[in-house]
Amino acid sequence: MEVTLVKNLGSIIGFAIAGIFVMSVWGAFADTYGIGGGWFAGFIIISVMWFLNHFLGLIANEGAFVDMALGIAITGTMRDVFLKGSAAGVASLPTLAFVVIGGIIGGTVAVAVEKTWAERDASKKDISM
Amino acid sequence: MAFPKIIATMAGGFIFPFLLRLVWGKLCDNFGPIGGWLAAGFIVGTTWTLNHGVGLIYQSGDAWIDMAWAGGTGLFVASALSGDDVGKGIGMIINAIIGGVLGGFILYCLYV
Repeated sequence: MEVTLVKNLGSIIGFAIAGIFVMSVWGAFADTYGIGGGWFAGFIIISVMWFLNHFLGLIANEGAFVDMALGIAITGTMRDVFLKGSAAGVASLPTLAFVVIGGIIGGTVAVAVEKTWAERDASKKDISM
Repeated sequence: MAFPKIIATMAGGFIFPFLLRLVWGKLCDNFGPIGGWLAAGFIVGTTWTLNHGVGLIYQSGDAWIDMAWAGGTGLFVASALSGDDVGKGIGMIINAIIGGVLGGFILYCLYV
Protein backbone atom coordinates (compact mmCIF):
# COMPACT_ATOMS: atom_id res chain seq x y z
CA MET A 1 0.00 0.00 0.00
CA GLU A 2 2.65 2.44 1.09
CA VAL A 3 4.92 1.33 -1.75
CA THR A 4 2.14 2.02 -4.27
CA LEU A 5 1.51 5.44 -2.77
CA VAL A 6 5.18 6.40 -2.92
CA LYS A 7 5.47 5.05 -6.48
CA ASN A 8 2.59 7.23 -7.64
CA LEU A 9 3.74 10.23 -5.63
CA GLY A 10 7.29 9.83 -6.96
CA SER A 11 5.94 9.57 -10.50
CA ILE A 12 3.85 12.72 -10.10
CA ILE A 13 6.89 14.57 -8.74
CA GLY A 14 8.99 13.29 -11.65
CA PHE A 15 6.50 14.52 -14.27
CA ALA A 16 6.11 17.87 -12.50
CA ILE A 17 9.85 18.58 -12.06
CA ALA A 18 10.62 17.73 -15.68
CA GLY A 19 7.76 19.99 -16.79
CA ILE A 20 8.85 22.85 -14.54
CA PHE A 21 12.44 22.77 -15.84
CA VAL A 22 11.50 22.54 -19.50
CA MET A 23 8.73 25.13 -19.42
CA SER A 24 10.79 27.83 -17.67
CA VAL A 25 14.57 27.38 -18.03
CA TRP A 26 14.47 26.17 -21.65
CA GLY A 27 12.75 29.30 -22.90
CA ALA A 28 15.13 31.49 -20.89
CA PHE A 29 18.13 29.83 -22.59
CA ALA A 30 16.53 30.23 -26.01
CA ASP A 31 15.65 33.89 -25.35
CA THR A 32 19.17 34.67 -24.12
CA TYR A 33 21.29 32.66 -26.59
CA GLY A 34 18.94 31.97 -29.49
CA ILE A 35 18.63 28.60 -31.22
CA GLY A 36 21.96 27.41 -29.78
CA GLY A 37 20.67 28.15 -26.29
CA GLY A 38 17.59 26.08 -27.03
CA TRP A 39 19.70 23.13 -28.18
CA PHE A 40 21.89 23.42 -25.09
CA ALA A 41 18.84 23.58 -22.81
CA GLY A 42 17.68 20.26 -24.26
CA PHE A 43 21.08 18.76 -23.52
CA ILE A 44 21.35 19.89 -19.88
CA ILE A 45 17.68 19.46 -18.89
CA ILE A 46 16.50 16.34 -20.71
CA SER A 47 19.68 14.40 -19.89
CA VAL A 48 19.42 14.57 -16.12
CA MET A 49 15.61 14.45 -16.12
CA TRP A 50 15.73 11.25 -18.22
CA PHE A 51 18.35 9.79 -15.87
CA LEU A 52 16.17 10.53 -12.84
CA ASN A 53 12.80 9.60 -14.30
CA HIS A 54 13.52 6.70 -16.64
CA PHE A 55 17.01 5.34 -15.97
CA LEU A 56 16.77 5.39 -12.16
CA GLY A 57 13.00 5.02 -12.41
CA LEU A 58 11.33 7.78 -10.39
CA ILE A 59 8.49 7.43 -12.89
CA ALA A 60 7.48 3.87 -11.99
CA ASN A 61 6.28 2.57 -15.37
CA GLU A 62 4.84 -0.94 -15.32
CA GLY A 63 2.61 -1.30 -18.36
CA ALA A 64 2.69 0.57 -21.66
CA PHE A 65 5.41 3.22 -21.46
CA VAL A 66 4.44 6.73 -20.36
CA ASP A 67 7.34 9.07 -21.13
CA MET A 68 8.11 12.13 -19.01
CA ALA A 69 7.32 14.03 -22.23
CA LEU A 70 3.62 13.72 -21.38
CA GLY A 71 4.13 15.57 -18.08
CA ILE A 72 6.26 18.18 -19.86
CA ALA A 73 3.61 18.67 -22.55
CA ILE A 74 0.78 19.10 -20.05
CA THR A 75 2.87 21.46 -17.89
CA GLY A 76 3.54 23.76 -20.85
CA THR A 77 -0.06 23.91 -22.00
CA MET A 78 -1.53 24.24 -18.50
CA ARG A 79 0.98 26.98 -17.59
CA ASP A 80 -0.52 29.12 -20.34
CA VAL A 81 -4.11 28.10 -19.57
CA PHE A 82 -3.58 29.24 -15.96
CA LEU A 83 -1.87 32.46 -17.11
CA LYS A 84 -4.02 33.41 -20.12
CA GLY A 85 -7.32 31.64 -19.55
CA SER A 86 -9.11 28.70 -21.15
CA ALA A 87 -9.73 30.65 -24.39
CA ALA A 88 -6.00 30.42 -25.08
CA GLY A 89 -6.21 26.67 -24.59
CA VAL A 90 -9.17 26.37 -26.97
CA ALA A 91 -7.33 28.39 -29.63
CA SER A 92 -4.40 25.95 -29.36
CA LEU A 93 -6.54 22.83 -29.84
CA PRO A 94 -5.96 22.62 -33.64
CA THR A 95 -2.19 22.53 -33.13
CA LEU A 96 -2.59 20.00 -30.31
CA ALA A 97 -4.70 17.74 -32.53
CA PHE A 98 -2.29 17.75 -35.48
CA VAL A 99 0.80 17.34 -33.27
CA VAL A 100 -0.78 14.32 -31.58
CA ILE A 101 -1.89 12.81 -34.92
CA GLY A 102 1.65 13.24 -36.25
CA GLY A 103 3.05 11.72 -33.06
CA ILE A 104 0.81 8.66 -33.22
CA ILE A 105 1.77 8.06 -36.86
CA GLY A 106 5.45 8.53 -35.96
CA GLY A 107 5.30 6.02 -33.12
CA THR A 108 3.40 3.54 -35.27
CA VAL A 109 5.83 3.77 -38.19
CA ALA A 110 8.79 3.46 -35.79
CA VAL A 111 7.44 0.13 -34.51
CA ALA A 112 7.02 -1.08 -38.12
CA VAL A 113 10.64 -0.09 -38.86
CA GLU A 114 11.80 -1.87 -35.70
CA LYS A 115 10.16 -5.08 -36.90
CA THR A 116 11.92 -4.93 -40.28
CA TRP A 117 15.23 -4.26 -38.47
CA ALA A 118 14.65 -7.25 -36.18
CA GLU A 119 13.96 -9.49 -39.20
CA ARG A 120 17.04 -8.15 -41.01
CA ASP A 121 19.27 -8.79 -37.98
CA ALA A 122 17.80 -12.26 -37.47
CA SER A 123 18.51 -13.21 -41.10
CA LYS A 124 22.09 -11.92 -40.76
CA LYS A 125 22.64 -14.28 -37.85
CA ASP A 126 21.31 -17.18 -39.94
CA ILE A 127 23.89 -16.46 -42.64
CA SER A 128 26.78 -16.21 -40.19
CA MET A 129 25.84 -19.50 -38.62
CA MET B 1 -5.09 26.60 -39.57
CA ALA B 2 -4.03 26.78 -43.21
CA PHE B 3 -3.26 23.52 -45.00
CA PRO B 4 0.54 24.01 -45.28
CA LYS B 5 0.72 24.69 -41.53
CA ILE B 6 -1.19 21.46 -40.88
CA ILE B 7 1.29 19.46 -42.97
CA ALA B 8 4.28 21.12 -41.24
CA THR B 9 2.80 20.58 -37.76
CA MET B 10 1.99 16.92 -38.40
CA ALA B 11 5.47 16.34 -39.82
CA GLY B 12 7.02 17.90 -36.71
CA GLY B 13 4.87 15.66 -34.54
CA PHE B 14 5.88 12.59 -36.56
CA ILE B 15 9.63 13.13 -36.37
CA PHE B 16 10.01 13.44 -32.60
CA PRO B 17 8.63 10.07 -31.34
CA PHE B 18 10.02 8.38 -34.47
CA LEU B 19 13.56 9.39 -33.48
CA LEU B 20 12.99 8.76 -29.76
CA ARG B 21 11.71 5.24 -30.34
CA LEU B 22 14.36 4.20 -32.87
CA VAL B 23 17.50 5.96 -31.62
CA TRP B 24 17.40 6.53 -27.83
CA GLY B 25 17.46 2.84 -26.84
CA LYS B 26 20.22 2.03 -29.33
CA LEU B 27 22.38 4.86 -27.99
CA CYS B 28 21.98 3.44 -24.47
CA ASP B 29 22.75 -0.08 -25.75
CA ASN B 30 25.99 1.23 -27.24
CA PHE B 31 27.10 3.78 -24.65
CA GLY B 32 25.22 2.93 -21.43
CA PRO B 33 23.65 5.83 -19.52
CA ILE B 34 25.95 8.25 -21.38
CA GLY B 35 23.81 7.35 -24.39
CA GLY B 36 20.99 9.15 -22.58
CA TRP B 37 23.08 12.32 -22.47
CA LEU B 38 23.85 12.01 -26.18
CA ALA B 39 20.16 11.40 -26.87
CA ALA B 40 19.14 14.45 -24.85
CA GLY B 41 21.36 16.68 -26.98
CA PHE B 42 21.17 15.06 -30.38
CA ILE B 43 17.57 13.81 -30.39
CA VAL B 44 15.68 16.22 -28.13
CA GLY B 45 17.92 19.29 -28.53
CA THR B 46 18.31 18.88 -32.27
CA THR B 47 14.63 18.11 -32.86
CA TRP B 48 13.75 21.18 -30.77
CA THR B 49 15.77 23.32 -33.19
CA LEU B 50 13.54 22.03 -35.99
CA ASN B 51 10.16 22.00 -34.28
CA HIS B 52 10.41 25.11 -32.11
CA GLY B 53 13.71 26.82 -32.98
CA VAL B 54 12.71 27.35 -36.62
CA GLY B 55 9.04 26.55 -35.93
CA LEU B 56 7.98 23.51 -37.96
CA ILE B 57 5.20 23.07 -35.40
CA TYR B 58 2.84 26.03 -35.92
CA GLN B 59 1.19 27.46 -32.79
CA SER B 60 -2.49 28.14 -33.56
CA GLY B 61 -3.19 29.67 -30.12
CA ASP B 62 -1.51 31.26 -27.11
CA ALA B 63 -1.31 28.08 -24.99
CA TRP B 64 2.02 26.45 -25.81
CA ILE B 65 1.80 23.10 -27.59
CA ASP B 66 5.18 21.48 -27.16
CA MET B 67 6.56 18.69 -29.34
CA ALA B 68 6.52 16.71 -26.07
CA TRP B 69 2.79 16.12 -26.78
CA ALA B 70 3.86 14.11 -29.83
CA GLY B 71 6.64 12.39 -27.88
CA GLY B 72 4.40 11.27 -25.04
CA THR B 73 1.49 10.06 -27.17
CA GLY B 74 3.67 8.56 -29.91
CA LEU B 75 5.81 6.55 -27.49
CA PHE B 76 2.75 5.29 -25.61
CA VAL B 77 1.12 4.10 -28.84
CA ALA B 78 4.38 2.50 -29.97
CA SER B 79 4.70 0.72 -26.62
CA ALA B 80 1.11 -0.50 -26.84
CA LEU B 81 1.61 -1.74 -30.42
CA SER B 82 4.67 -3.73 -29.39
CA GLY B 83 2.61 -5.60 -26.81
CA ASP B 84 2.91 -3.68 -23.52
CA ASP B 85 -0.09 -3.60 -21.17
CA VAL B 86 -2.23 -0.52 -21.93
CA GLY B 87 -4.39 -1.00 -18.81
CA LYS B 88 -1.35 -0.81 -16.52
CA GLY B 89 -0.19 2.31 -18.37
CA ILE B 90 -3.44 4.24 -17.75
CA GLY B 91 -2.59 4.82 -14.08
CA MET B 92 0.70 6.41 -15.09
CA ILE B 93 -1.10 8.65 -17.60
CA ILE B 94 -3.25 9.91 -14.71
CA ASN B 95 -0.04 10.59 -12.75
CA ALA B 96 1.31 12.52 -15.73
CA ILE B 97 -1.86 14.62 -15.88
CA ILE B 98 -1.69 15.38 -12.13
CA GLY B 99 2.04 16.15 -12.34
CA GLY B 100 1.56 18.27 -15.45
CA VAL B 101 -1.25 20.35 -13.97
CA LEU B 102 0.80 20.76 -10.77
CA GLY B 103 3.85 21.84 -12.77
CA GLY B 104 1.76 24.26 -14.82
CA PHE B 105 0.27 25.76 -11.67
CA ILE B 106 3.69 26.21 -10.04
CA LEU B 107 4.91 28.02 -13.16
CA TYR B 108 1.76 30.17 -13.07
CA CYS B 109 2.88 31.17 -9.57
CA LEU B 110 6.31 32.04 -11.02
CA TYR B 111 5.07 34.18 -13.91
CA VAL B 112 1.80 35.71 -12.68
